Amino acid sequence: MAESIELEVKGLDFYYAGNIHALKKINLSVSKNSVTALIGPSGCGKTTLLRCFNRMHDLYPKNRYEGEILFHGRDILSKETDLINLRSRIGMVFQKPTPFPMSIFDNIAYGLKLNGVNRRSDLAERVEKALVHAALWDEVKDKLGASAYDLSGGQQQRLVIARALAVNPEVLLFDEPTSALDPISTAKIEELATSLKKEITIVIVTHNMQQAARISDRTGFLMLGELIEFDRTDKIFTAPSEKLTEDYVTGRFG
Amino acid sequence: MARTAKKNPVDMSFSFITAVASFSVIVFIIGILYVLISESSLAIGKFGVIKFVTSTDWDPVKESFGALTNIYGTVVTTIFSLIISIPVAIGIAIFVTEISPNFLKGPIGVAIELLAAIPSIIYGMWGLFTLSPIMSNHVEPFLKKIFGSVPLIGILFQGTPMGIDILTASVILSIMIIPFTASISRDSFDLTPAVVKESAYAIGATKWEVVKNVVIPYSKLGVFGGVVLSLGRAIGETMAVAFVLGNNHRITTSLLDAAATITVTLANEFAEADKDIYLSALFYLALVLFVMSFITLAMAKFFLIRAERKYSR
Repeated sequence: MAESIELEVKGLDFYYAGNIHALKKINLSVSKNSVTALIGPSGCGKTTLLRCFNRMHDLYPKNRYEGEILFHGRDILSKETDLINLRSRIGMVFQKPTPFPMSIFDNIAYGLKLNGVNRRSDLAERVEKALVHAALWDEVKDKLGASAYDLSGGQQQRLVIARALAVNPEVLLFDEPTSALDPISTAKIEELATSLKKEITIVIVTHNMQQAARISDRTGFLMLGELIEFDRTDKIFTAPSEKLTEDYVTGRFG
Repeated sequence: MARTAKKNPVDMSFSFITAVASFSVIVFIIGILYVLISESSLAIGKFGVIKFVTSTDWDPVKESFGALTNIYGTVVTTIFSLIISIPVAIGIAIFVTEISPNFLKGPIGVAIELLAAIPSIIYGMWGLFTLSPIMSNHVEPFLKKIFGSVPLIGILFQGTPMGIDILTASVILSIMIIPFTASISRDSFDLTPAVVKESAYAIGATKWEVVKNVVIPYSKLGVFGGVVLSLGRAIGETMAVAFVLGNNHRITTSLLDAAATITVTLANEFAEADKDIYLSALFYLALVLFVMSFITLAMAKFFLIRAERKYSR
């Protein structure tokens, strides 16, 4: 199967304020319509790498990128990149559910309104579509006006996914999306991620190696800011080429 | 020998001293309230409650006293100072928390706190010698020219621009209360979790959209509490407005007229209160102020407690 490349990281170095070298010469490519997992011990740089894809680091002063990340052939790290546009094409879901202080409906409509969808009927239609998409519609269709804070943690996380999906992103970044959830909610989110890859490309950071093994097509193993190994998920977990990777996935450290 | 906390004399006296220190606060409040009520009992007996707070008389010669002109002056200067200060204070808070580069956050924060540390008499002197001439020579004639003939708003800008009036007093008050609103708003804004802001940025929101739709809704209770706290401060402020408000016991519709607030009346007239009923009426006025401040502070506390509960959830 010929895979087309959605995101290509070329020689990426990243420095946090104070010249902390958090990512060192990272090279990897994310295929379209696949799930790519990033694993590694705490502080290895996996979340840092994820947050490069939507330039989240730009919110804080003095962070610095070097190298390139190509998104459909264009370098998103260049100064000309329109961050607002980039972030509406590459969505992100965080570790803890982050609903906005508004109703369930408005949480999803918010992103749509930012992107110029203003007609009430359009909004209602797209909100419903996004909620169906995120497998939340049946649970909330009777209380769309209720505060998003009234939902359970797992429901909030699916609401946040629906919010990200509503604006039709091409890529969705997940930053340990299930680490604050119970096993049943986790299973629902994993199922969702697997079904979503038909339409979009997913990059997921996870602490949970079984999760990476279950849902991803490719896995990158990072340690101390370096990408130790990047390969097909089955190969990483059964026959890794690096000793470090083997030690980590077999639970010898981490 | 085994130690027991209960019978340890040092521990007991320590507990006793801290308890005395705490209860003394309650004693002071009750004591002050008692003095206010007992000293004003003569006036309460003569004018009653409803008549006192609704009468516009303030005539020491005829011994007829009512609080309404003073309450009116207090309320109007407070409202206008809030109208001026709230947008500025919230603007400062937004700039400091969300927009300014890190190296500016410290200096601006310190400047705000210094503004709060200036004694109010200095505001009063500055108001009389600097602000008042500026207001009467430039600002007020300008406002009068622009709004003077506009229907409805026009009545706010009638009369001779003297610079000793409600508008000047409101401006001084607003400068005084900006630090309170700004620093409480800043603290409330800072309580907005970074991830919630980030997730708004992550769906393509601009800074303004994040502030408007996430930060402000998230912290509105705290900001409101800050506003009410400043309101309490504005109601009770004396020295800053005493010089620039005049001492005019009339209800006026124009902001360019002199007026009197409760505090200004108290500061100006105690020395000349020669009759018992006059003195008693002043105490009664102080009691009214006490009640007004108490209610606003209680409201502020109520909203701040609710805000804290919401964040800690």
